[in-house]
Amino acid sequence: MDEEPLVRWDWIGRNWPTIQGLLEDHIVMALVPILVGLIIALPLGLAGVRWRWLYQPTVGVMNVIYSLPSLAVFIVLIPITGLATRMTVMVPLTFYAMAVLIPAVVDGLHSVPDHVRQSAVAMGFTPLRRLLQVELPIAVPVVLAGLRVATVASVSLVSVGALVGRGGLGYLFIDGWQRQFYTPIVVGIVLVVVLAGIADLLLILAQRLLTPWSRARGSA
Amino acid sequence: MITFNGVTKRYADGTVAVDNLSLEVPTGEITVFVGPSGCGKTTSLRMINRMIDASEGQILLDGVDVKTIDPPTLRRGIGYVIQQAGLFPHRKIVDNVATVPLLLGWEKKKARDRAMELLERVGLDPKMAGRYPFQLSGGQQQRVGVARALAADPPVLLMDEPFSAVDPIVRTSLQEELLRLQAELNKTIVFVTHDIDEAVKLGDRVAVLRVGGHLAQLDDPATLLARPADDFVREFLGRDRGIRRLSFVSDEGVRLRTDLLAPAATDVATARATGEPWLAVVDGENRPLGWAFVKDLSESGTLADTELAPYGTFVSGRDSLRAALDATLLSPSGSAVAVDETGRAVGAATREALDEALATVASGIGGPSRGAGAPAGGGSGVAGGAAGAGAEATGSGDAAGRGADGLAGGVDG
Repeated sequence: MDEEPLVRWDWIGRNWPTIQGLLEDHIVMALVPILVGLIIALPLGLAGVRWRWLYQPTVGVMNVIYSLPSLAVFIVLIPITGLATRMTVMVPLTFYAMAVLIPAVVDGLHSVPDHVRQSAVAMGFTPLRRLLQVELPIAVPVVLAGLRVATVASVSLVSVGALVGRGGLGYLFIDGWQRQFYTPIVVGIVLVVVLAGIADLLLILAQRLLTPWSRARGSA
Repeated sequence: MITFNGVTKRYADGTVAVDNLSLEVPTGEITVFVGPSGCGKTTSLRMINRMIDASEGQILLDGVDVKTIDPPTLRRGIGYVIQQAGLFPHRKIVDNVATVPLLLGWEKKKARDRAMELLERVGLDPKMAGRYPFQLSGGQQQRVGVARALAADPPVLLMDEPFSAVDPIVRTSLQEELLRLQAELNKTIVFVTHDIDEAVKLGDRVAVLRVGGHLAQLDDPATLLARPADDFVREFLGRDRGIRRLSFVSDEGVRLRTDLLAPAATDVATARATGEPWLAVVDGENRPLGWAFVKDLSESGTLADTELAPYGTFVSGRDSLRAALDATLLSPSGSAVAVDETGRAVGAATREALDEALATVASGIGGPSRGAGAPAGGGSGVAGGAAGAGAEATGSGDAAGRGADGLAGGVDG
């Protein structure tokens, strides 16, 4: 009896169109929640800084959501968003992204030194201009650090969606496990890791381009 | 002019930071608010540009109540320098300086040109313009902070402990830079500090505030040092008040002797004939070279051959009595060489001459005047005439080039 090899290259060649489709699906389901999460986290973070009493409850709720097992949330969502739809996966991932990004936005805005904020006021910035031209740009390094954590987590979590029928590259794990066939599992793992790595690298690159003024430059 | 009219700042919890403060900040002068922490000096400053609003009373800016002006508009017309410079870390130096012009809607090019001009003005290398704040030292950042505050050429400058976070040497140079700039720009400056030495050094007028926001005394530095209003002010002024006060007395009353100046070409015999133990040797352009101890001179030759002791100098007519006194203490001969603005010797001040000047100060006859007074070397026939008579000259005079005459006169006489 032939020993099953770890990777059957011919299988990859034959199934490449399928793998490519799964990869694209994976990218969309991982990154759309990050984008939407960031868009929602910005105003919520700003609100948390503006009205301090709001911050702790917001973070509390987000942490509870973050602690819910993703599989359980997927299952609960099926009646609303449907079985094996992208929505079922992306909605919880958006909340997970927010759980990381809201504190990142708040911490980022708190990282603006008080004397810098004071001098912006004294120079005659209006509150909106101060936010857009001084506070948010200075918050960028901290927000980007949060974005990196959220993005890598999101890329990895999409796979779990395979258990409710829509998990991008996660499908390869189920497929390989059900058939006791390693190749799809290896391909899935490698692609998820590479995808997470590329996303992270792009964010590091973005950080260097966006914040040449940051002291942390060079040590990153 | 900035006018405080019975200004009080009371916080919601009942704390009174500033209590019924009334004073005037004259146009074109530096007024320093000084006092211990909790005296309300920073609060008072921030009420001017409405970073804090007064609870009672009015603050008038050239007669207009600041409360009637929209805060951002008000602030764009008032320069502000903060302790840690408060530079925007994400903007290059040139863009930091251009901040207020851009807020005022200047064209980018014009704002940047103006920023470059100001960097130069505060003594920064134009190469710094493209750098980010973290690449600059604390002292350089503070200069940028001053340049930024001046960018839109506001008539009023508020400075909140701007130099207290830098080391003493840098602080001194920044203070001198500020005085130099102010001599050119004549801004109305309100300067807050907890350092009384800084206050008397920079202030045309000094407002001493006590805890709870009460004005204890408002006077020019010389008066403040000479006549503290009460024990609090006296204690706050600290030690050496008498000596420090000399910084505000001009050296104009110091009698200068031109007969102690001797050209290097003077021969030893002539030098001995003066009967003076020490002679200040000057070169052909009348610049001081050092002191010659006459007893130690060899039998022949000129003063140029002898080893000269170092000398202390002060700029006649510009430096304070304190500087003159200091110079005599640093000189082995016990006398200090008075020079004009170009560094040429105009005479020597002996300890006796200093004594007389100090006695005049002590008796209160010597009118206080700022050290940075009238320029020296303005030329006066008095010194020349006195020198010609081989006698003593009083005051700053254009005795340059007459030292030799003085000596010759002394010898002949």
